[in-house]
Amino acid sequence: MGRYVIRRLLQMIPVFIGATFLIFLMVYALGDPVTGLFGDRAPDAATAARLRAEFNLDKPVWQQYLLYMGNIFTGDFGTAFNGRPVTELLAQAIPISFRLMLVAIVFEIVLGIVLGVVTGLRRGKAADTSVLMATLVVIAIPTFVLGTTLQFFLGVKLGWINPAVSPAAPFDELLVPGIILALVSLAYVTRLTRTSIVENARADYVRTAVAKGLPRRRVTTRHLLRNSLIPVVTYLGADIGTLMAGAIVTERIFNIQGVGYQLYEGILRQNSPTVVGFVVVLVLIFLVANLLVDLLYAVLDPRIRYA
Amino acid sequence: MTETGIDLVKDGTAATPGTPLLDVRDLQIEFHTREGIAKAVNGVSYSVEAGETLAVLGESGSGKSVTAQAIMGILDMPPGRITGGEILFQGQDLLKMTEAQRRKIRGNKIAMIFQDALSSLNPVLSVGYQLGEMFRVHKGASRKEAKARAVELMDRVRIPAAKDRVNDYPHQFSGGMRQRIMIAMALALEPDLIIADEPTTALDVTVQAQVMDLLAELQQEYRMGLILITHDLGVVADVADRIAVMYAGRIVERGDVREIYRTPAHPYTKGLLDSIPRLDQKGSDLYAIRGLPPTLTSLPAGCSFSPRCDRAREVCVTERPLPVTVLDAEGVPVPGRSSACHFWKETLHG
Repeated sequence: MGRYVIRRLLQMIPVFIGATFLIFLMVYALGDPVTGLFGDRAPDAATAARLRAEFNLDKPVWQQYLLYMGNIFTGDFGTAFNGRPVTELLAQAIPISFRLMLVAIVFEIVLGIVLGVVTGLRRGKAADTSVLMATLVVIAIPTFVLGTTLQFFLGVKLGWINPAVSPAAPFDELLVPGIILALVSLAYVTRLTRTSIVENARADYVRTAVAKGLPRRRVTTRHLLRNSLIPVVTYLGADIGTLMAGAIVTERIFNIQGVGYQLYEGILRQNSPTVVGFVVVLVLIFLVANLLVDLLYAVLDPRIRYA
Repeated sequence: MTETGIDLVKDGTAATPGTPLLDVRDLQIEFHTREGIAKAVNGVSYSVEAGETLAVLGESGSGKSVTAQAIMGILDMPPGRITGGEILFQGQDLLKMTEAQRRKIRGNKIAMIFQDALSSLNPVLSVGYQLGEMFRVHKGASRKEAKARAVELMDRVRIPAAKDRVNDYPHQFSGGMRQRIMIAMALALEPDLIIADEPTTALDVTVQAQVMDLLAELQQEYRMGLILITHDLGVVADVADRIAVMYAGRIVERGDVREIYRTPAHPYTKGLLDSIPRLDQKGSDLYAIRGLPPTLTSLPAGCSFSPRCDRAREVCVTERPLPVTVLDAEGVPVPGRSSACHFWKETLHG
């Protein structure tokens, strides 16, 4: 088990370097941040040169990258052009996005797995068919349509929620945005769990469990569910990263000032340190989430633990 | 609960003398498939006494496993459906019981050993957990007690270093050891009847004999009834007391194991025995029954075996032969021996 963890940790290093370098290349080499900063107006040549020198933009890309990574490891993510350190933005945005992700992932796990198990065990019955139809509808409708519609009805028409989330973004205000964020993944988790349950329900070991005279509930929870959850856990792990990064649309709709919101602003203003800084952190979150999933995977399936 | 608890349960439902441990009567099972209704079991009757081994012999699709699943109550319904018959266990019809009543019998009084132990054991739970589960669910044992009983069981089926291996997972054991764990699981609550569905088919030949001997030994020790489902004629000769030969969902011949091996009274049984490779016939072609078993969705009107039978006459195609008691050369009925063939006499005596 220990060697397994070490091997997985070592594997993260090249992935981290590769991913961050690509992002860095795209942001710095394929656009001119200084021009972007001035918007429509042409920058004054002297000022532009001073800014380029200050942000190391006059050096070759690989040097810029090394300098940048060196700074990151000392905790310096650079300064956004507006003068605020990127770390400050991160410290502000990440807890908000994390709370939003937490709400979404709890919905996915609880509702997705429950619906998946129920439909899987009642395959072909009315409950199964209607849930399957609902998941198709959810997958087919874009998030911004569902999001704005719910925002309008619950927030404006009925007044049950605040249409815009306050800057502090407490948990209760994040409930509806969390559901919106979770919906598509929730549909996938439901379908994945259902398929997995249907497949495993016919397995020999489930038949053995029944033949042992175990109560139905025990057969389902101890024998069937544990095996069926292995692919679902993999999906959920990958989804944590997606939920943190992919909340751009949801965060825009409800005006949540999280990672997605900051990234959007950064891209819009070609604010390179912000964009790269946020993406580097997201890559890290993604990698750690995947590592945790792989470890959980080993806990769920002893065949991997001892491989 | 202790040993006495188990004994009380046994005594409380002790069958009256003369009632067989298990008595399957005219069982009929069909499956609804896309091709139509497959009649998998068409009036099967057999009985098993305590301490006795009945071998149910037949090729794939003969209905031998389906019958066992019906006894066990693990038949997939749908698509399966029991359309008739009774399964009397200690005098009570299992088919008339509620699911809760049947669950108490499963594992506790009737246990089953499956063919492929690797897929039949849960890959993500330790063998100790899976063995201990029997005591925890049926006897309300604590986690610790259950583990101790699991080690005991593993010792009893002679798994080396049971104490160290109780927390291992099925994939860490060899095929023979895994099947021993399946046997241990079936024995856990000392059931009255064990159904072994091809228990040695997935094993190496050398291991097959060990596992079979162990099973036979434990069966004698606990005086359990054993239904041995197999297509391995060698295994049958070693351990069975009586044989029921199944073909297309019917029992075509039954009787004492030695008598059937010496003098089969049904052409199908004869064909099966003739297709065993023998050293003294080395060099000559191996006998094989020609043709294939009939499709269960459209069984022939007469004898199901007639399309493949060398002895088949007009009457075999039109009229289904019913089981008749077989008479020996002097015309005395042989007890417990029957054949469902119009020409059993010719098959038996010449």
